[in-house]
Amino acid sequence: MYKYILEKLGDFDWMALFALLTFFFVFTLSAYLIFIKDKSEVARLSNLPLDDCEDLLPQ
Amino acid sequence: MSEKTTLEHFSYDNKIVRDFGIATTIWGIVGMLVGLLAALQLIWPDFNITQYFTFGRIRPLHTNAVIFAFVGNGIFMGVYYSLQRLLKARMWSDLLSKVHFWGWQAIILAAAITLPLGYTSSAEYAELEWPIDLGIALIWIVFGLNMFGTIFKRREQHLYVAIWFYIGTWVTVTLLHVIKNLEIPVHMWNSIPVFAGVQDALIQWWYGHNAVAFFLTTPYLGLMYYFLPKAANRPVYSYRLSIVHFWALIFIYIWAGPHHLLYTSLPDWAQSLGTVFSIMLIAPSWGGMLNGLLTLRGAWDKVRQDPILKFMVVAITAYGMATLEGPLLSIKSINAISHYTDWTVAHVHVGTLGWNGMLTFGILYWLWPKLYGTKLFSTRLANTHFWMSTLGTIFYTVPLYWAGWTQSMMWKQFTADGFLAYGNFLETVTQIIPMYGLRSLGGAIYVLGVFLMAYNLIKTARQGSLIRDTKASAAPLQDIPMTDGVSWHRWIERRPIQMLVASALVVLIGGIVEIFPMLVIDKNVPTIASVQPYTPLELEGRDLYIREGCVSCHSQMIRPFRSETERYGEFSKSGEFVYDRPFLWGSKRTGPDLHRIGNKYPHSWHYNHMLDPESMSPGSIMPSYEWMIDQDLDTEYTFAKIKVLKYLNTPYEFTADEQVQKAINAQARRIAKELNEQGIEQENLEDKEIVALIAYLQRMGTDIQADGVVNNN
Repeated sequence: MYKYILEKLGDFDWMALFALLTFFFVFTLSAYLIFIKDKSEVARLSNLPLDDCEDLLPQ
Repeated sequence: MSEKTTLEHFSYDNKIVRDFGIATTIWGIVGMLVGLLAALQLIWPDFNITQYFTFGRIRPLHTNAVIFAFVGNGIFMGVYYSLQRLLKARMWSDLLSKVHFWGWQAIILAAAITLPLGYTSSAEYAELEWPIDLGIALIWIVFGLNMFGTIFKRREQHLYVAIWFYIGTWVTVTLLHVIKNLEIPVHMWNSIPVFAGVQDALIQWWYGHNAVAFFLTTPYLGLMYYFLPKAANRPVYSYRLSIVHFWALIFIYIWAGPHHLLYTSLPDWAQSLGTVFSIMLIAPSWGGMLNGLLTLRGAWDKVRQDPILKFMVVAITAYGMATLEGPLLSIKSINAISHYTDWTVAHVHVGTLGWNGMLTFGILYWLWPKLYGTKLFSTRLANTHFWMSTLGTIFYTVPLYWAGWTQSMMWKQFTADGFLAYGNFLETVTQIIPMYGLRSLGGAIYVLGVFLMAYNLIKTARQGSLIRDTKASAAPLQDIPMTDGVSWHRWIERRPIQMLVASALVVLIGGIVEIFPMLVIDKNVPTIASVQPYTPLELEGRDLYIREGCVSCHSQMIRPFRSETERYGEFSKSGEFVYDRPFLWGSKRTGPDLHRIGNKYPHSWHYNHMLDPESMSPGSIMPSYEWMIDQDLDTEYTFAKIKVLKYLNTPYEFTADEQVQKAINAQARRIAKELNEQGIEQENLEDKEIVALIAYLQRMGTDIQADGVVNNN
């Protein structure tokens, strides 16, 4: 069986592989960078919509 | 941070938000009513009123109206409100805001006039002709200038995640619009696309799918990340998750287009990429949905009372359902069943009615009292509207799921003897008419709910008065030096242009890897020696087919399934479409596939069928196209079209208009004579549009038949 797998090895689609690897790289890097962000800064950012500086808050 | 800063006083422009809010409501009603008319036409063909309001012409009117007018104005309403507040700055230019508003409405009006007149490029969701395309580009740039101008004069250092979604939307829509509409004008209301056949198909669905992704989804996700926390009065569940959501979504979405072309003549590798990335989309989409729903943790008691939160919860749930279903439909074995059926229509409407519609309604109900400094006129009416929207969506979609499944099973059913169990396509149509009836009922309930909302908003406005500008105060932006410890992401969050470039790069990767090889590698589109360009008369017939929107109901792409080759003939090859500008593969079979219709019936059959479809196919829901029998064929621009096609490497030998006219007359006379011999008597028949249409229909799919080649050359 391995003989056939090895025979087919050269037929892989480089574009599909490139796509998958690129995604994996981008996703892993962004996930890593995001999860090392400072916690208090993240809390401040997530509150931005609730702090709109309006002088008059109409009812 | 400096210890003490002076506050700056400024105001937010509410009027522009209100104007876009009114526009989204009005165009929503118009677009949905046109949709309802189209739905009724599929039950009672008599609703096809005059040549300007047939299903083929108003179906694109419906899709353009709800996507670009209803959702488009909804996007701008939400962006103009949230952007100012998130950046603590008024819009950069009130003048640009006004130009944007009126320019966009003018574009919609131009679409509403030109589409019923039959001026269409036939590309789904990009039907508008080139002068309107230019107008869209111009107004989109005005919007971009105003948005980035506001970003530059902001008083908040960080760009909240909603703004990333707006930036991602702007840059990707710019890219999609420009590449999709690469076309050469023939005259004011006609153009020929640069790409042909399978390449045009790939570009189309790269665009078409991403119109869904970057017009119906990413801007609305931005709105969700702003208005849901506002309505619930609590921050988003996980800001970190929202960042992952953004980058993963824009990266993956751009690749998914080929899932619209599974089992077609598109090369297998492109189909596989479409499938893989579509399935991967579940992760960011559901991450976003869960982030939205979990924002309401501890506030579910409010959801029971507040119609605004009810709308938002159902909208986000619909987003989750549609984004689970989409990837499942991209699996080839499921797509083999669902494609070309009403299943796709149901899927799309879960997204549009549920996600876009309900989120827009929730935002409008939240905004209107704020803009008019009052309370909502009637919470009870808003609750009624909520239930009408929910029931309307269910009544719309469930029957269509049923219809799609039923019809597909009937198409594929064989008898024990190996024959098609439902050899007459019409049997599979009449079977699902009751489901079309229920779908119309669902649509009617939904649009009635929107009328209710309009009434509620008008009454709310009348009991208050518009607060044209809301005063606000904030400290000016300070230039905080970056230190070594600052992360990459915090750095980019503060830099809008870098964010724009990064977003563009991320979406470009997918586009380039998929599309570039298709355009440059010849082996992707094997040529067939016997495939020849259309004759001038066939070319005009093809343009009539485009004008009437036949592609809305008829595909020209036979998939390599036994059930399809038995019914229609030899499966379609990519080399057969090398001269097809635009490609007309279609995406829905309300009627049968037409790729091998050529030489299948005598000319007289087509003549009678176009005059009165029921005379040839009793029970047919196709409208009559009687005007094509009476109207003279316009050949004024045929030579101009051929010149453009020659420029695009179509091997025509015509060098003068006289030659073209001579060829048209010769073929038209031949067809008219054959029609006479088949019993059709009509004065000056050879000059009529019907003859050109018959010429085209009889040519379709015949190039790979030996006798077809002889006949047409």
